[in-house]
Amino acid sequence: MRIATANLYDASIANLQNRQTALQTQQQQLTSGKRVASAGDDPIGAARAERAQTVIDRVDANQRAIEASRNSMTLAESALGDAGQLLQQARETMVAAGNATYTDAERLGLAGKLQGIRDQLLSIANRPDGSGGYLFAGQGSNNPPFLDQVGGVSFVGTPGTIQTGSLGNFQLTVDGRATWEQARSGNGFFVTDAGANSVTGAPAQGWIDPGSVTNPAQLTGQNYRIGIAGTAPAQTYSVTNTTTGAAVTGGAFKAGQSIQFDGMAVTINGAPVNGDNFSIAPATNSLKAFDVLDKAISELKVPLRSGNQIAQSNSNRLRDLDAVLGNMQSARSQVGEKLGSLDGTENRLSGLKLYSKQEKSAAEDIDMVQAISNFQNQQTGYETALKTYAMVQRMSLFQFING
Amino acid sequence: MSGLLSLGSRAMFANQTALQTVSQNISNANTAGYSRQSAVLTTAPGQYTGAGFMGRGVDVRTIERSHNEFLTREAFTSKSAASADTTRAEQLTRLEKIFPPGNDGLGHAASQFLNSLMDVASRPTDPSARQVVLGQASQLAANFAGVGARLADLQAGIASDMQAEVAVVNQLAQQIASVNDKISKVQGSGHTPNDLLDQRDQLVSKLSEHIAVTTLPADDGTLGVFIGGGQRLVLGSSAATLTVAADNYDPQRAVLALSEGKLKRPLDENVLTGGSMSALLQFQNKDLQDARNMVGQLAAALGTRVNAQNALGLDLSNPPGAGAPLFNVAAPRVLPASSNQRNPDGSFTNGVQATIVDASQLLASSYRLSTGAAPGTYQLTRLSDGLVRTVASGSTVDGFKIGFSPAPPVAGESYVIEPVGAAAAGMRRVLDNPVGIAAASPVTAVAATNNAGTATVDSIYAVNGSFSAANLPIALAFGGPDPANPANLTYTLTLPSGATLNGVWAAGKPIGNQPAAGINLGFELRLNGVPRTGDTLAIAATRFPNANNGNAKAFLNIQAEAFVGQRLQPDGSLGAGTTVNDAYAGDVSEIGARVQGANYLSGTSTRVAADAEAGRSSQAGVNLDEEASRLIQYQQAYQASAKVLQTAQTLFDELLRIAAR
Repeated sequence: MRIATANLYDASIANLQNRQTALQTQQQQLTSGKRVASAGDDPIGAARAERAQTVIDRVDANQRAIEASRNSMTLAESALGDAGQLLQQARETMVAAGNATYTDAERLGLAGKLQGIRDQLLSIANRPDGSGGYLFAGQGSNNPPFLDQVGGVSFVGTPGTIQTGSLGNFQLTVDGRATWEQARSGNGFFVTDAGANSVTGAPAQGWIDPGSVTNPAQLTGQNYRIGIAGTAPAQTYSVTNTTTGAAVTGGAFKAGQSIQFDGMAVTINGAPVNGDNFSIAPATNSLKAFDVLDKAISELKVPLRSGNQIAQSNSNRLRDLDAVLGNMQSARSQVGEKLGSLDGTENRLSGLKLYSKQEKSAAEDIDMVQAISNFQNQQTGYETALKTYAMVQRMSLFQFING
Repeated sequence: MSGLLSLGSRAMFANQTALQTVSQNISNANTAGYSRQSAVLTTAPGQYTGAGFMGRGVDVRTIERSHNEFLTREAFTSKSAASADTTRAEQLTRLEKIFPPGNDGLGHAASQFLNSLMDVASRPTDPSARQVVLGQASQLAANFAGVGARLADLQAGIASDMQAEVAVVNQLAQQIASVNDKISKVQGSGHTPNDLLDQRDQLVSKLSEHIAVTTLPADDGTLGVFIGGGQRLVLGSSAATLTVAADNYDPQRAVLALSEGKLKRPLDENVLTGGSMSALLQFQNKDLQDARNMVGQLAAALGTRVNAQNALGLDLSNPPGAGAPLFNVAAPRVLPASSNQRNPDGSFTNGVQATIVDASQLLASSYRLSTGAAPGTYQLTRLSDGLVRTVASGSTVDGFKIGFSPAPPVAGESYVIEPVGAAAAGMRRVLDNPVGIAAASPVTAVAATNNAGTATVDSIYAVNGSFSAANLPIALAFGGPDPANPANLTYTLTLPSGATLNGVWAAGKPIGNQPAAGINLGFELRLNGVPRTGDTLAIAATRFPNANNGNAKAFLNIQAEAFVGQRLQPDGSLGAGTTVNDAYAGDVSEIGARVQGANYLSGTSTRVAADAEAGRSSQAGVNLDEEASRLIQYQQAYQASAKVLQTAQTLFDELLRIAAR
């Protein structure tokens, strides 16, 4: 076959250009580290990288959400810790108030101490979260969620919690109502209290302890009244189910001995008189921390109370404070558990991000070893092409025709 | 003696001619389109003498060019295909730059926007987080609009490229016609006008880079040049003119037309089978159009979805209201054919309107509406796959609704409908006040204090237009286990009107939006934990929208929601679409695959063209080594002829010397 000289040159130049282009492409990939610079390089790889990038973006956003949640939860945890300590102080104060040698004036002083604790607790309950909201705002509140108003402090936000995040639920607020206003009343199953004497209307001369559960299976969750009749030492008691109106049990009464019925056991102490009666109601999740304190303060401020009254009130308030404290501690442990799970989630998200990064890298990054080896191959090829081009082009018959 | 002289001089002349052609070949070794020439030598007929026929030397019969019709044709045809493939690959590479993967792409911008709502969800009361959302929203809108603008730039570039190409083609056609003319004038001479023929072949070859041509030689030596399956471009010494005209529907687009006198005949792109102009047209009508529709589909679906979600939430205005649109979503474009009936004032007599009904069903396609066989019937062709459907005024097809106003189209009229064609270019952020971001859910659920179960509210937000504040508050009470599946719990929703709705709760299943079960309240309540029989929740209007993030969380779910391009199934249900990021990834890989394919084709056809050119030039091209040896060959022959003359002279001298004695 004849070879046209011009075509030979053209073809050689085209080949050299192709090799140069390939070399440059390879060099670009080597310097950028990317095998896929645009989708045309590898459409499937580009789509894979794109999807992995979406996951990475999402994880980044969720990590920001985790930070926000951790911030709130840490603040809430410390607020609940502070509140727990204050409540502990309040409890000690109440225990002190039970001292039989204290005078009304001394109890008034203790009431003042409790008042101080109460005010501190209110400021904790209304603690802001640092970004315009409140730690205990629940599902939202415009203003501080706890309002000190006539009739006591009440939660004015929306109960519940708000969460953030899309790859998990990261709590942002603590349910103020559940934390501060939903302690289980009584001993957790029923609430005991002394009523006014049915004959004289005077306060009861005996006082009833919080009671205990002897057989959970027999609990009815109904209301009862224990009435005392007769004079000591020949007193009797009768237990009436006020929900159904049926008489439950009765018998000879002796102060300090427990009365058992329907799976419950209560003890009436002191010296109850004829007509004294005591109520037993099912427990509800309605004990408010501030109500308990307010009640304790107001009771401590009442002068000229009998020893029984003081004992009954102290017993009830201590019981309530314990319930509030228990509720607060359970809220604190829930927050602590959230903080722990945030760490777990963060680890999981970091793992997901790492995986996605590897996926992205596998889809679009260059394999350096192979790329360098390819580059050297191409370089050698290009060099050879240049050398042979120079050699071949020098050969022409005209070189050999002299004269 | 005189015979010897005449023989020698003829031989010298012939060899000189041969040397001249060799020199001509050497001179034109690098001239494009030049065909190697050679002198055709023949023996002059002998003279009859008594001693038989005496040779009378050599004649130069003609100068012929080394030429192969088939190879020449193959070279220019394959060049035409290579030029088309290369042009399309170049254009697609430009298009591909508009759809970058990774951090510069639309997918990332959409992610950033939706993820910025995460910070609003995390700090609903923080105004700076809302400001960031607005910033990301305008970034996203600018990104879409930028893509739209660059696509428009590409379109404008094609129109101007076409103008330039047409000018070149017209000039080449004129030149071919004039060469034809010259060739026909020397046709009678009996010799081929080699250089003119080379020139014409070269012109045809150049022409076919721009547009695929077929050629037909005529008896008078002229060459007919035809384009687009037999349309006459050059015939004899006259050439027709190509012009670029506006598309019948979309004046932005270019079409080719062939003008003869005052008549302009548009050329269908499908009959142009090669050349850069056909590639430009094909790119314009297919790739660019597809790209515009793909990105438009994304813009319309995402913009509408975001606007709808914002409208379902409560913003921070006073009093709180439903959120205003964040993005401007451009309306569908309806392009009437310019040939449709017009009023005396030039406006169209009839009209077609398209309005988006459900943006999530929009597909990345254009549609053509034409009148059916029977009067008053209409056919809608989906141009992406050719599906033809019969439609009427008010029909809803693929998420948009067709209306006829002021009057329904009449027979012969046609319209192109682009539901999403303008969506990307028209994308704007229209919300300017961070207060307008509706992060709050209009509805809140609160678990009752004395619930025995562990159920707490996970999320509650409005999901569709069925939500109405008039239905609030709602009391949700859990009843006994579902008889069908004891693991699930029945519940009752009591509306303010006293009406009750009964449903079954299963873990992870939302409450409030089960149209199939007759519960269509337009919100979804999700619970954490497990409720117990007797537990209640109060569902009421949100009291503190500034601290609520319910709707912001709903925004977050958009990213995982497959709402782009849901197709209506034959049974009336909606097929799954794709998420916005997957849709973009799909677009990127679709265009990437086209680039890859075009590059491959362009590489192949360029090699084929190079081979064809090598084949042609091996026949017609000049090899300098060959010419060098021919040079020596004819030089020696010339020297030998001169020797003959010298011999004749020596003989003559000898004769004179003898005679002088």
